[in-house]
Amino acid sequence: MTDSPSSPSAPASPPAPTPAWRRFVPPVLAAVLVAALGVGLLRGNGTQDGGPLVGKAAPDFTLQTIDGGRVSLASLKGRPVVLNFWASWCVPCRDEAPLLRDLSEKQSANGLAVVGVVFSDKDLKSVRSFVQEYALAYPSLLDPNLNTAITYGVSGVPETFFIDKGGMVRGYDQGGLTRERLQAGLTKIGVAF
Amino acid sequence: MQATQTRTAGQTQAAQEQQAPAAGPALTAVQEARAQAVGRTIRCPVCQGLPITESPSDLSQSMLRDLRGQVAAGRSDDQITTYFAQRYGDTVLLDPPRRGVNLLLWAGPVVAAVLGGAWLLSYLRARERQAAPTPDAGPLADDPGDDTPDAYLAQVRAEAGRRQP
Repeated sequence: MTDSPSSPSAPASPPAPTPAWRRFVPPVLAAVLVAALGVGLLRGNGTQDGGPLVGKAAPDFTLQTIDGGRVSLASLKGRPVVLNFWASWCVPCRDEAPLLRDLSEKQSANGLAVVGVVFSDKDLKSVRSFVQEYALAYPSLLDPNLNTAITYGVSGVPETFFIDKGGMVRGYDQGGLTRERLQAGLTKIGVAF
Repeated sequence: MQATQTRTAGQTQAAQEQQAPAAGPALTAVQEARAQAVGRTIRCPVCQGLPITESPSDLSQSMLRDLRGQVAAGRSDDQITTYFAQRYGDTVLLDPPRRGVNLLLWAGPVVAAVLGGAWLLSYLRARERQAAPTPDAGPLADDPGDDTPDAYLAQVRAEAGRRQP
């Protein structure tokens, strides 16, 4: 910072101020990014209102019950079906089991059918204990190779599919049913609870 | 519901099936390599970012066995990945499909690089123009490494001008 040896001309005029709109660019960009992130997070994976199978035909299956019987989805065609994947080690499954038991009491020959599928539970003794403890009066099916779980895209239990009379998946719930969520699913397949 | 059940093999067989998952189909070396390659693009649904080929979970092992069965059946890679995506959603794919909102993932970095590059270029050019020697700027403006704020530079120049005899 020395005295300038240059000619004593008038001092340089200060540079033009930054346009106002340019000052808003960084915060606006940041706001857009945060908004996009928020939308992405809130949109989630669509697990509550609609899994990938909703609106599609429910994949058929034929599985053995824990009592040695056999149940196929095809045999239930013409009836609304609540298909619940559960495991004895799953705490939310215990929370929703009484609801499903109450619901199963409304089953009738040509009406609602409730079906449980045991997911990744190798301890058959625990499975039986679970069924007895909650007095589940609907079939609990074994899916030893998880083939049915995979065809339904099940990744964790509990997951419940609401299938209408025509065999189409109309509703899906993950994470444990409450009375309200169960009713919401049943409404989609024309069943009152 | 009870009418839909028929007793078959009984409880013992049910217990055995629950305990012992079936083995997958036998594949040729080429088929196995293809199954592994496709499997590396399928995310284990119960893991954190692991492909089903690297996860020891029952579900991943079952999915891999299912996948191998599809390879043995002659299904194409696209058919297999579509099969899993239709059931688990696109989140099961470790290589997200280049369509819809996913395009942002692929195009976003390119667009950001182009826009950022254009901005950087224009900024550097503007700075270069400001740093170019002017008749009244004197040696202060000759320093290419000068990064003094413009307002401060103007003030210095003004003071320098006043001190001239």
